Amino acid sequence: MTDLFITFYAITLIYFALSERVKKFIWLLAIQGLILFGVVFFSLHKIELFDFIFILVETLLVKSIVVPWFLDEVRKRNHLKREHQPYIPVFYSIIIVVISLIVSFMLSDYLHNDQMHTQYFTVAFASIIFGIYFIIIHKNIFSHVVGYLIIENGIFLLSLAVGSAMPLMVNLAVLLDVFMGVLVLGIFINRVGNTFKSVEAGNLSKLKD
Amino acid sequence: MDLLFFKITIVLIVALFVLPQRIQYFWSLLLHTAILGITSFWAIESLFFYSGSLILPFFPFWGNTISLVIDPLSAFFLLVVNFTAFMGILYAKGYLKPYYETKNRSETAFHFFNFLGLHLSMLLVVMLRDAVAFLIAWELMSISSFFLVIFESEKKETLRTGIRYLIQMHIGVVLLMVAFILAFVGSGAAFSFDGLSMYFAAHNPFWLFLLFFIGFGIKAGFIPLHSWLPHAHPAAPSHVSGTMSGVMIKMGIYGILRVLTTIHHDLFGIGLFILIISLVSGLIGISLAIVQHDVKKILAYSSIENIGIIGIGIGLGVIGLAMNIPVLAVLGFAGGILHILNHSLFKSLLFFTAGNVYRQTHTRNIEQLGGLIKKMPKTALFFLLGAMAISGLPPFNGFISEFLIYSGMFKSLQSGGLMTDIVILFSFSGLAIIGGLAVFCFTKVFSIVFLGNPRSSKTENASEVENPMLIPDYLISAFIIFIGFAPALFMKPLAEIVHLFTGNTDFIFQIVPTLNKISLSSGIFIAVIVIFWMLRNWQQKRQKVEQSATWGCGYSGANPAIHQYTATSYAENFRQLSAKIVNVKKDFELFEETEIFPGERTFETRSSDIFEDQIITKPSGKLLSLFEKIAVLQTGKIQHYLLYALVFLLAISVFALLNWI
Amino acid sequence: MISILLIAIAALFFTGIINKVKAKIGGRKMPSVFQPVYDLIRLFKKGAVYSNTTSIIFKIAPSVYLASVFTAMLFIPIGNLHSLLSFHGDFVFFTYLLGIGKFMMIIAAMDTGSGFEGMGANREALYSLLVEPAFFILAGSVALFTNNISFQELFLHLHMSSNLSIIIGIAAIYVLMYIAIVENSRLPVDDPKTHLELTMVHEVMVLDNSGFDLALIHLASWFKFSIYGAIISNFLIQVQWPVYVQILSFFFIQAVFAFTIGILESFRARNKMEKNPQWIIMLSAIAIVVFLTALIITNKIILH
Repeated sequence: MTDLFITFYAITLIYFALSERVKKFIWLLAIQGLILFGVVFFSLHKIELFDFIFILVETLLVKSIVVPWFLDEVRKRNHLKREHQPYIPVFYSIIIVVISLIVSFMLSDYLHNDQMHTQYFTVAFASIIFGIYFIIIHKNIFSHVVGYLIIENGIFLLSLAVGSAMPLMVNLAVLLDVFMGVLVLGIFINRVGNTFKSVEAGNLSKLKD
Repeated sequence: MDLLFFKITIVLIVALFVLPQRIQYFWSLLLHTAILGITSFWAIESLFFYSGSLILPFFPFWGNTISLVIDPLSAFFLLVVNFTAFMGILYAKGYLKPYYETKNRSETAFHFFNFLGLHLSMLLVVMLRDAVAFLIAWELMSISSFFLVIFESEKKETLRTGIRYLIQMHIGVVLLMVAFILAFVGSGAAFSFDGLSMYFAAHNPFWLFLLFFIGFGIKAGFIPLHSWLPHAHPAAPSHVSGTMSGVMIKMGIYGILRVLTTIHHDLFGIGLFILIISLVSGLIGISLAIVQHDVKKILAYSSIENIGIIGIGIGLGVIGLAMNIPVLAVLGFAGGILHILNHSLFKSLLFFTAGNVYRQTHTRNIEQLGGLIKKMPKTALFFLLGAMAISGLPPFNGFISEFLIYSGMFKSLQSGGLMTDIVILFSFSGLAIIGGLAVFCFTKVFSIVFLGNPRSSKTENASEVENPMLIPDYLISAFIIFIGFAPALFMKPLAEIVHLFTGNTDFIFQIVPTLNKISLSSGIFIAVIVIFWMLRNWQQKRQKVEQSATWGCGYSGANPAIHQYTATSYAENFRQLSAKIVNVKKDFELFEETEIFPGERTFETRSSDIFEDQIITKPSGKLLSLFEKIAVLQTGKIQHYLLYALVFLLAISVFALLNWI
Repeated sequence: MISILLIAIAALFFTGIINKVKAKIGGRKMPSVFQPVYDLIRLFKKGAVYSNTTSIIFKIAPSVYLASVFTAMLFIPIGNLHSLLSFHGDFVFFTYLLGIGKFMMIIAAMDTGSGFEGMGANREALYSLLVEPAFFILAGSVALFTNNISFQELFLHLHMSSNLSIIIGIAAIYVLMYIAIVENSRLPVDDPKTHLELTMVHEVMVLDNSGFDLALIHLASWFKFSIYGAIISNFLIQVQWPVYVQILSFFFIQAVFAFTIGILESFRARNKMEKNPQWIIMLSAIAIVVFLTALIITNKIILH
């Protein structure tokens, strides 16, 4: 069953590469949250009940509802509709995301380690790589936040890969970071949006003095 | 005995120079026929009646006898070379006619002499095994083709192209020589192809193979070694470019195949290397073909693409050998080798028909052509046939070879490991995209040249060429259709050739029922077309059929020549996708604001080959500017030169004193 | 043999159902499901007008196009009902056969010397080349999964047993549906009902065809739709069902397919022309994910 969600997760990454609308990014993040919930629900039931519930709440509530909702508010406030032309055409981004998926699937086949659940490693690695790539090719700060969230989802999956007890700890830390990050960046985007009437990352360099 | 034959042949060839211009052609045709007869006899004997290789002593050389060795692989190439070269000379009769007025007797004699030389040297290349003799034949082939390319040497561009070609061929030959010598020194075995196996058995084969691959690959035109090809083919006369593209570049493939027969271990890296280079050649070759305007340049780039397809077959075959998947090995090699034959057929057909167009319109720029199907219907249909065959569409021959490669891939998906499967995934996606791009490219060429309205006045006086010029087209087309409809007949000789690489060739015979069903399906397809066509004619006889202008939103005042799509606009949406690779530059002037009545404007697009720029033009430019700086020393005064000599002597003595040298 | 009949029958109703759904959602009065068939019969009875620019290519192209689609139809089985022709690797032949039809239609469009039709022709050429790998990768993954390489055997051995094979089924149907949309130039790649030549793909290529020829072209594109519908239905029909259930479910699935396209066309906007290539290449990307899943099922990629 987990493999099913893993595959869906891979498909969401392709859609991230395809989409150009900010609203779609938010939807996709929410869907990724749901998929992670599914992954956890079907694979982590051996751990303590409290941890289990906590993770469920975290994925379902935070990842797929609170963060997307917050991002949506930011989007509405700043009237963001469409991402500007990314640095690399979408056509090539799709090819790149597919190659990164193939590489990370092959990599996880080579990692014959009993300590590791390579199942999760497959998309986790691709997700982190893709998140970084996503930030590189986009000009908009808002999309950068989305990129960080993709990386965060990847790290969450990676922590699942490393061990059953770890996710809670890792995730707690990462979540805190990202949550702060989202909040700070959200406020930041609002400020930048108010100041410059656009959220191009290029504007930030004007602030350096 | 055979040497005597050879000497007589040389004498007869040289006799061309004393014959009057009218007879030269028939004399050379006779000689071609004789050469064709003898060597094809050997080849057929070896391929069909004689198991093992046929060895004919040729001439003594330093105590050894150098012999002609004809195994199935050589026999196959002999037949392909003979057929294509013969078609070339048949076509030359009509094509060269306009040139008789401008060229004198010795010039035409020299041309025929070189064509015979090219034919003969290609035959020798595939028969000789001794390294020295092989390299001499190889060199003869390059030189004779060089003289053929610069036939119209009064054009400066042609001469430049020819010299560029000659230089690149010599880089290739040096690499081959180095590779042979390395193998000889490394193993101490015979200085020939047969000696290579000892070297390869004892060493890691990849590096020496790489050397051979580059040497042969320059001839074959694998990207990035291809930069001579798109220039030499348009410069040469059409029968020469047909022969060069049809068989001469395949000599590179022959060399690679011959070297591969001697390697038996560590094949995976080699196979992967060939496959990646071939996929890149296929994709980039055809992408560059799409954005060109010169019809022969398009065909030249499409040759690179087809070399890529051949290479994909061979590469998969080698991977199949390495991973011990016999079905992939057998069908990969079979598809690749059959595609050598197929490509020699349709590419020479396309070059000959393009030559017809050039002869009648005096332009190769497709933007100036259009509507020729009405004036040259036979040429147009032959071109269409070639275009469909080269796009790999059934029921023609291109499909058969691609199908063999595809079915090898799909059949081995299950038995291969992860790595093989991923390789296969990329290969069949690549092959599918190459096929689609070929359709894109050839629909463009065919429809811009032959369909629609004329785009310039150059087509006004065009008329169909004389019938004798179409004879090779008929023969080649018959062969194309024959392979397309009865591929099963070709499987037995193909199995003989593939046997050299894989040993067991059962899988070729297992695919025969499938091929028969393909023939059946193609038959049904043709029958269905005929039925619909007849129904249509039956219906239209009883209805009113009118002629009118093309729909133009009700506006009929537009100039029909300007109104239609051009080659550039047809390729525009593809150019946007592949801007980085095809590198198209646009030349135009913007309108100025003060211009109330704008004057005439021109718009031009050019594509430059990114590999050529980076590998040839830029480095050689830098080298030239370096030499120019050094040229400061060349003052032209004798005192200065004596001074240099003195400095040199002093330096030598100083070095000698310090014991550096 | 029966499978051809079934596909042909389904083809006749296909466009009718799409139009009906679109009319219903659009709040218009619904035309009869048979309306396209009536139109077709009328076209078959009509005379034709040919442009002065055109040559024999333009006249023969519709016959070749329909013949290619018709011959391709002979390869499609339905559940237990065998196809007329079947051999190893027939899906390669199938794709290239459809390619011949496209080739002829493209050069026929260029034959008219019209700017509009050139526009449609080069778009068609580009889109069909981009969509081809998706079909091959999908066929490759199903071939890997079932260890068979002809349509007939592929579908006979396709069992949706494990969870992962379900995802192969879902993703394959999803990709196939969009391949059908691209091949037939429907929304969101192309809007068949648009009134501007500049934004059309397939419709603009046949601007100059009329009468019998146009009827052949229409018939061919219906058949094409129905062929893809049949391939999709094969993913869902189980071979152990009784034959009449298979036939009923075939028609049911075709109807649902037509219904889905009708709904999709009612609510979706057409893609921007320049966005089409990336949208089409996305299908190949998803097909590759399917291929990776097939590798996991066949234990080529070992995960734990």
